[in-house]
Amino acid sequence: MRRRAWRAGGRRRGGGPRYPGWLALPAAGWYAAFFLVPLGFVVAYSFAALEGYAGIAFAWNLDNYRSLWDPLYGGVFKRTLGLSLFGTAATLLVGFPFAYWLARYAQRKTLLLLLVVVPFWTSFLIRTYAWLIILDPEFPLFRALHSVGVVGADLNLLYTPKAIYIGVVYNYLPLMVLPLYAALERLDWSLVEAAQDLGDPPWRAFRRITLPLALPGVVAGSLLVFIPLTGEYLIPVILGGDKTVFAGNLIAQQFLEAHDWPFGSAIAVVVIAAMTVVLVAFSRIAARQETQGG
Amino acid sequence: MSDQESFWQRGVDRKGFVAAAGLAALAAASGGRLGADAFAAVGRDEAGGELLYYNWADYVNPKTYPAFEKATGIKVKKDFYASNEALLAKLKGGARGYDLAVPTGYMVQILAQEKLLEPIDWSKLPTVKKNINQKFRRLPFDPQDRYSVAKDWGTTGFIYRTDLVKERPTSWREFFTLAKTTYSGKVTVLDGIPEVIGSMAVMLGYSYNTDSKSQLDKVKQELIALKPHLLAITSTEYKQLLISGKAVLGLGWNGDGAAVAAKKPAQYVIGKEGGEFWVDSYVIPVGAKNPDAAHAWIDYVYGPKANAVETEYTYYGSPVKTSLLKGVLAAEILGNPAVFPPPNVLAKLEPNKVSARGTQLRNRIWTEFKAS
Repeated sequence: MRRRAWRAGGRRRGGGPRYPGWLALPAAGWYAAFFLVPLGFVVAYSFAALEGYAGIAFAWNLDNYRSLWDPLYGGVFKRTLGLSLFGTAATLLVGFPFAYWLARYAQRKTLLLLLVVVPFWTSFLIRTYAWLIILDPEFPLFRALHSVGVVGADLNLLYTPKAIYIGVVYNYLPLMVLPLYAALERLDWSLVEAAQDLGDPPWRAFRRITLPLALPGVVAGSLLVFIPLTGEYLIPVILGGDKTVFAGNLIAQQFLEAHDWPFGSAIAVVVIAAMTVVLVAFSRIAARQETQGG
Repeated sequence: MSDQESFWQRGVDRKGFVAAAGLAALAAASGGRLGADAFAAVGRDEAGGELLYYNWADYVNPKTYPAFEKATGIKVKKDFYASNEALLAKLKGGARGYDLAVPTGYMVQILAQEKLLEPIDWSKLPTVKKNINQKFRRLPFDPQDRYSVAKDWGTTGFIYRTDLVKERPTSWREFFTLAKTTYSGKVTVLDGIPEVIGSMAVMLGYSYNTDSKSQLDKVKQELIALKPHLLAITSTEYKQLLISGKAVLGLGWNGDGAAVAAKKPAQYVIGKEGGEFWVDSYVIPVGAKNPDAAHAWIDYVYGPKANAVETEYTYYGSPVKTSLLKGVLAAEILGNPAVFPPPNVLAKLEPNKVSARGTQLRNRIWTEFKAS
């Protein structure tokens, strides 16, 4: 950690190599045109009013935000938060041991990493549809589990909230595993061995050495899972039978069905604002951990 | 019945499939302009005899495309939408270059109000003028025939598996009661705000298009009571769910009912209380590259033979004069009450035509229903 702290300090004092700033221009232009400008539109729409079926009257009114202050939408946001927290925790719990094993012990790392990435070569939509077959009560897996008495005969996951959770963990797991692996792969295992040599039992060495050093990966993976999950809407539609409304579904419904772009924009702005708060909080935590570590 | 064979083998229905919905959503999310530019590019590369047809998935007999090209020399390019609302979102978002689309009546009116349609030039439609059943001229959603020509029509009712359901429901009340009791968990409804709210309103004795707050509140209570008994809310998977038997009752369209009935014992029913009668109409979206090709398509499919090919595929009613269809359209389709309901049944049905105020109330109810 000391090395990292030194580097950060050096950059602040301007002692490091100078980078030509214009290299950032293409990316900056791209983000300005395709991210900041549309974001501005979204914010502007969120203050507009719906006129007739699909017309928009630009104005300065807070009605869209006011109507969001409603237990109905509060429930939707709470459910969305629950799903995002669940997805983040579950992928972390499932992904960490795997990434740990992969980084420290596994033999054919390249092949295994490839296997993690391969699903990305297929459309997200098709992979989610495939789960319709897997979750079908007629699927051989369930029959086999039933015949050995693991599950009851009436187990039906399809079109239930459980199906949504399963689909979420499956789809988001690689986003957690890859940054975790990247962090653990760089880890100097001799530090862990030294801690154990000096008397730390394995779990304490893990807590005091491995975990803090892996923390950037945990933070990166958690953000990569948590943030897109707050806008997730296809998994609930396909695997949940469209019976459960999350923030993403609510926004999609406003734009595609209700034609209430102003209200949809207001919901989107609230989600974006909440995400910004989460992001800032996360980066604060990460920064504090780093200075403590150094 | 080789035509029927090909019909039953197709995988998706009039309202497309969720994949299409997802792609449409992505396209809408990425901004219609992007799509418009892409289409403009296509138009430039292959100018001349080309028709860009924006349609429900699987709503044209595949045989019609080559036949049309042979007759007119016009090549058809295809793009698909999954709901009327998605079509509006795309055009409203700025997508241009489509020559032809097929919204449902109420959406024709909204698109016209939003100035998203080009007028129809009836002088280019001699076959239509000759063959159309006068009932389908000057429909309430387009009283001057300025923007639309009827493509086909159908009804919204319910489908049940006659082998898996002992009862023989004939009314919405029976349908919803069975859904909440004996067949709980084996029921689907369309992912459509007008259809589901309208059908429930009809069960309660209200108009399909009610916008009364107190009536809609009652509808909402009924819907929330129904919710725990639903397997899924879907316009796209329900045909498959009914065929597999995972669902035994489904609120849906008559064409899909015919599709299920061809594979498994099933019956399509128009609720005794009434329901929806819809007409999908050809329109020319604003900014069409080749409106002449659009007119040529409309006029072509109004030929009795070409029209019969379409009806045998979609199983939706035809606006062509019945006298002209006799002999070219298979008698079992012409005589099938699910495709061509008798007049006394039709008299009880209403087209979807909800006021803007009612639409807003309904959107809110829909969210409550789904979030409950």
